[in-house]
Amino acid sequence: MDAVAVDGVWKFYGDYPALRDIRLEAAAGTCLALIGRNGAGKTTLLRIVAGFSRPGRGQVRIFGGQPRDTETRRKLGFIGHGISVYDELSALENLTLYGKLYGLPDPRRAAREWLERTGLARVADGLVREFSRGMRQRLAVARAFLHEPQVLLLDEPFTALDDKAIAVLQRLLREALASGKTVVMSTHQLREALELATHVALLTRGQVAFHGPSTPEMVADPGYVYARYGEG
Amino acid sequence: MREKRLYLLGVLAVALMAYNLTEIAARPLQALFYIPLCGTAALAAVTSLAASIAFLRTRNFRFDSLAVAATEAGLAFLAAGIVNACFLIHAAAGKWWTWDSRLTAALVCWLLYATYLMLRHAVQEPTKRAASTAVWSVFAFLDVPLAVVTIQWWKPAGHLRFDWTQLRFCNLAAMVLLGTLFTVVRMRQEETRREMDSLRRMTHAL
Amino acid sequence: MRFFRQVWVVTVKDLRAELRTKEAINSSLAFALVILLMFSFAFDPLADTTREMSGGLLWIVFAFAGTLVLNRSFARELPNDCLDGLIAAPVSGAAIFLGKAVANFLLVLAVQLISLPVFGVFYSVPWTDQFPELLLVLVLGTWGLTVVGTVSSALTVNIRLRELMLPMLTYPIMFPALLGAMELTATLVTGNPIGPDKSGFLKMMIGFDVIYTAVSLVLVETILVG
Repeated sequence: MDAVAVDGVWKFYGDYPALRDIRLEAAAGTCLALIGRNGAGKTTLLRIVAGFSRPGRGQVRIFGGQPRDTETRRKLGFIGHGISVYDELSALENLTLYGKLYGLPDPRRAAREWLERTGLARVADGLVREFSRGMRQRLAVARAFLHEPQVLLLDEPFTALDDKAIAVLQRLLREALASGKTVVMSTHQLREALELATHVALLTRGQVAFHGPSTPEMVADPGYVYARYGEG
Repeated sequence: MREKRLYLLGVLAVALMAYNLTEIAARPLQALFYIPLCGTAALAAVTSLAASIAFLRTRNFRFDSLAVAATEAGLAFLAAGIVNACFLIHAAAGKWWTWDSRLTAALVCWLLYATYLMLRHAVQEPTKRAASTAVWSVFAFLDVPLAVVTIQWWKPAGHLRFDWTQLRFCNLAAMVLLGTLFTVVRMRQEETRREMDSLRRMTHAL
Repeated sequence: MRFFRQVWVVTVKDLRAELRTKEAINSSLAFALVILLMFSFAFDPLADTTREMSGGLLWIVFAFAGTLVLNRSFARELPNDCLDGLIAAPVSGAAIFLGKAVANFLLVLAVQLISLPVFGVFYSVPWTDQFPELLLVLVLGTWGLTVVGTVSSALTVNIRLRELMLPMLTYPIMFPALLGAMELTATLVTGNPIGPDKSGFLKMMIGFDVIYTAVSLVLVETILVG
């Protein structure tokens, strides 16, 4: 069974099809890089996979289950454009909150552990509104990894990260992939993504233009996929 | 519905209403219409509820078009009914308004469904708009009996005398036909608008 | 049981965030006191007729001030896309809604309980005479306001004119419950018990609360996820 299976998904805004007959799979332990121009539908597709919106037609299966099932949501970790942490709460309070929402047996301990792993242990009790941008991004990463999800869905995760945050994220993603977790990430930063990606999918105007394993040519010249399969 | 059938509805409605011409000498015109108008509005509310629930279950946008069309038609008819009643009161008592329980309840229901329209205009994205207004339609409908009963307790005396013999079933039928006509026309307009909206989005994407 | 634990987590989160900044509760309280004062200018607070209808005025104050708290309810999830985080979590939309509703209820009730003595002093009404019944009416009316207001907050969270839309959506739906609350409060605040002619309003308010809580719990998932 594939970790993530997108089967004939269409998404309509009114009558306009933003996504057309998307068929993609990501096997467990692989990293799928979703690339494409702005407006191609990467964010729309990721949000459907994550369960934030419903497809007009077709379905998404995460380990065979629906994205909105409670059990499935426990297995999903999502980083979107926003960091999804509360400015008025401290880093520790935020992570403990998510720990409780995800039903972890010891939310506080898990929160502290992930603050360590993202280098935020020193500022555990600081309010998020006082954090620098890089610290906020690292906290977002901690939040997504906190409940040890089987599938990580990341929407342009490397955008606007500073060097430290990029290093933390790459390290965590490598560890996750090594332990058999699945990653689907949409990205513009082809270089960082292709270092980790095992598979690549190119989205053009709501359709899949290319889907296959990542090749040495792609890693050497990230623009290769666009040139070969896209519209240039 | 085809054009010919729509025209037929309209003609039938007018024919039914022409029946009133025989009565003009005997009764005031104001008394003949306000119940049919409000009755049609009530029917429109039920239609809107049914269409909203149907949309929530099937996600078919035709039901969304029907819901908004029925609600708008209902609002128009209810407004006409309330104004009609005001004219009736003026003819009878010289005032333009009275806190009759049924009239006040009609006004409250009108405001209730007006909020549906406001919500409709405020949400831009079509799917979210349809889902949100469908939910709101259910909320509004549930409030109608509560409002009617509560206002009845608040001001039990009914100032509007309501003579059933004046209810001409042909007037009621005429209003229902007109209401259906308006709803269908509006629904068509909504479907066309949706199509244009999607074409516009498609051209933006190119 | 897990459902109620999740509801509690959301409630505590909202209360903690609000009490740290106190934005909504302070402005709500200030607004309530300002309107109370304005009503004292508009209607002679010493006249007997004003005293009789003051219970009604009180609910206008509560409705307006409550809106300020309710507006923040889902709006506080907008910065940083926190709403995404909540929706993605294995928590049902109903639990998120109920958690927020309880938090709003407690905040609005707090504002009301502080305004009540001020009101009693301004209008010289014996509001403590029937206090248990008055508290019951406050609780019932505020829960209705909170449920409808929280749903409206969820509906309008992404709308441009949110602050304007929320009251316009909430108040018409609230008419029956507000009417009942006004009638009952007007009686109770002048020291009279609820007679048989007004007891219907009490049952209606309970019915309103039950119906709208049930419908909201069922439909809120649709509003949040679409």
